[in-house]
Amino acid sequence: MMRKFAFPAVVLLAGVLLAVAPLFLDSGTLRLGAEILLVFAMAQMWNLLAGYAGLLSLGHAAFIGIGGYALYAAANNFNVPIYGGIVIAFLVAGGIAAIVAPLLFRLNDAYFAIGTWVFAEIVHVLVTKSDWLNGPSGLPLLAIRSMNMAEFPSITFWCAAALGVGTMLAAWGIMRSRLGLALVAVRDNPVAAASAGVDVWRSRFIAFVLSGAVCGAAGGAYFMSALFIDPNAAFDVNWTVILLFIVIVGGIGTLSGPVIGTAIYFALREMLLDQQGWFLVLMGGVAVLTALLAPRGIAGRGLLPASWQRRLLGAFRPAAAGAGRSVAPDAGNP
Amino acid sequence: MPLLEVDGLNAFYGDLQALHEISFTVDEGEVIAIIGANGAGKTTLMRSIAGLIRSRAGRVMFGGADITGLRADRVARLGIASVPEGRCLYPSLTVEENLAMGTAARRDGPWTLPAVYDLFPILREFRRRPATALSGGQQQMVAIGRALMGNPRLLLCDELSLGLAPKIVGEIYACFDRIRQSGLAILLVEQDVTRALQVASTVHCFLKGRISLSGAGSTLGIDAISHAYFGG
Amino acid sequence: MDWVPTIINGLLIGGLYGLLGLGLALVFGIMRIANLAHGEVIVMSAFLGLFLNQWLGINPLLLLPVIALVFFGIGYALQVGLLNRLLGKGPLPPLLVTFGLSTMLRNLMGQGFGADIHRIDSGSLPFISLHVAGFSIGVLPLITLAISTACFVALALVIGRTGFGRIVRATADDFHVVQMQGVNYRHIYGLVMGLALALTAVAGVLLGMRSTFTPYSGVEHLLLAFEVVVIGGLGSLWGPLIAGFAIGVVHLVGLRLDPSSGLLYPDLLFFLVLLIRPQGLAGLRRA
Repeated sequence: MMRKFAFPAVVLLAGVLLAVAPLFLDSGTLRLGAEILLVFAMAQMWNLLAGYAGLLSLGHAAFIGIGGYALYAAANNFNVPIYGGIVIAFLVAGGIAAIVAPLLFRLNDAYFAIGTWVFAEIVHVLVTKSDWLNGPSGLPLLAIRSMNMAEFPSITFWCAAALGVGTMLAAWGIMRSRLGLALVAVRDNPVAAASAGVDVWRSRFIAFVLSGAVCGAAGGAYFMSALFIDPNAAFDVNWTVILLFIVIVGGIGTLSGPVIGTAIYFALREMLLDQQGWFLVLMGGVAVLTALLAPRGIAGRGLLPASWQRRLLGAFRPAAAGAGRSVAPDAGNP
Repeated sequence: MPLLEVDGLNAFYGDLQALHEISFTVDEGEVIAIIGANGAGKTTLMRSIAGLIRSRAGRVMFGGADITGLRADRVARLGIASVPEGRCLYPSLTVEENLAMGTAARRDGPWTLPAVYDLFPILREFRRRPATALSGGQQQMVAIGRALMGNPRLLLCDELSLGLAPKIVGEIYACFDRIRQSGLAILLVEQDVTRALQVASTVHCFLKGRISLSGAGSTLGIDAISHAYFGG
Repeated sequence: MDWVPTIINGLLIGGLYGLLGLGLALVFGIMRIANLAHGEVIVMSAFLGLFLNQWLGINPLLLLPVIALVFFGIGYALQVGLLNRLLGKGPLPPLLVTFGLSTMLRNLMGQGFGADIHRIDSGSLPFISLHVAGFSIGVLPLITLAISTACFVALALVIGRTGFGRIVRATADDFHVVQMQGVNYRHIYGLVMGLALALTAVAGVLLGMRSTFTPYSGVEHLLLAFEVVVIGGLGSLWGPLIAGFAIGVVHLVGLRLDPSSGLLYPDLLFFLVLLIRPQGLAGLRRA
């Protein structure tokens, strides 16, 4: 019993630590901390989709950007308090994900992946053309003019922490739920899952919408913290590169993966601060190498040895981590 | 010198050992049959000889050369052609194109397109149809013709009779003589024990990856075969 | 009618759009690999065309065969050296590898060539027009359409009528069984990828003569090529050409109605096709 809840206990402890952090950290560090927590939350959600549901989304920037713009529109145009805007971002992004999922689900595998990318580009173009959202020039967060800015870094940090901790717990919870089992079954073998009574479409749909909604919320919080949003930053293809890197390095389909991956990403980013072009080359190279070296597909394996992952957060990997195991040829009729 | 010599062959699927120390030979112009229950290792044997499965120990010698571990396409070009279980014709290709695929092995010999049409006249009628639009028996003819077009020295036939009416199977097996006369040896896997005994000079019975019985088709008794087939 | 020139021009560029998608369709149809670095191949071939034209002073149209050959080699090496290792491991690894490659190439080009915009100089060609039936048609777009169509015809003949094409089709059907006839499918895959990149490179150079490009243009080219493939439908080599024409017309008509829309209308056409006819215009199989 104790063992079973050891993981959420650890996460909640981390949450408590994060809650008191603003008392000790300056605003610059808090901003970076918020960014780290938000990217972590996005990675956790992207991982949910790719690692557990087996859906590779190359257009998740769409939801991040939609969330950002939803918050700005709500705050600037409708005078919604900006922290409430995060909820709006969640709902708008989730809603759009729900609308577009039926279309995208008509595509398989690779074509689904690129399809999400096309979708992201459509949103990008629409926003760039939109006068209401001020097109290519971007939007400043006007609502801050009427706010107490002293508290802003702390509250933003808490929002980010809530999202970070929340997604961690949600991922843990989902994996123990029927939805989680259904997702893994669908990822490994959709036909078998369907014949066992799993509603393949519905499981994927829920995962996709949830992932989009939370990324929307995180995107809203991210751009809220940045005090400015423009289409190129909101819908940058490099969001995908970053999330892909984090999840691959940390280990697709694991709970601890995004933690490790996010840490490594930000460590490298700070080290290569004025070499961002080369950093992107490096991240691309990591994707190539990992796909090549991971022996049977990329399931439950990061670049770190499994023993490290276990030690860090205690072997909370889903049971069906052997997604890449091949079926013995003609085992029934040698 | 035998055309094909299998010596102490061991094959695995992962950790599961499917073949244990298999040894036998096939001489030029001979017809050898492998019988046995499902899962006994018959298709594994064919795949190992053809180069589709790596064997971990043992040797396969063909025409005096060691072909163990050779890649499947190299084995085919050396003169071993396969008629795989289930026919495996190319759905995007017509009958004639399927047959023509046999020439990819780049070997000269008596088996040309006209010769195959001579052997199986019905195929000439359907030459431009998609191969998978034909009946089961006709598809089997295409599969055999495709293998013959490679002018092999050894023909591997896996379960020719599977899913076919006995009359059709008879027609197909009736061609064996002509095939042998062109200089080929045939190694076949057959579910139909009676058919196997009729057509082959030597029959090997497989049981759980080992040869449980070998002998000339005419001299093997029903009891011996039964025992060797099912074990116990 | 004022719209006729727009539609004609849409058809003219449509041929090029079709060619842009052809390489992607070929590789996916034969090997089930989606090359996410496709856009970067287009940009790289444009850069090669740019440099060769600047160094040698030869008209880029005459450089096409050389550039095609270079990218044939690159394609073969990519397939045999890298992508063949991922066979049998599912759909994810090739996506990751090609996505990673696209990121690397895009940013390497950015580091090496900067963010300047370029166009390949084709002399006076862009300014010459023919006058046909009262309409003015540019010579360069006409040549582009001719070359694109010729590529389609050539590929269809190779795949449909030659022994090599027969082997390719058989390999696409069943790469295990094809070995039994002495075909080394890894080599065939290499040749197909080489062919695909060669075709793509031709399209890339033609595109580079027609519009500007930067190291970061690859993304929009990939998306356009992908739309061409999906709208055209898989399982048919002519699908991309038909789709190209449709997209070309929609794109130019859309730009005329809405000058800042970029690729929005083709994007919407893509989603429309997905909604009402997922197998594409000429399609035999769903994407």
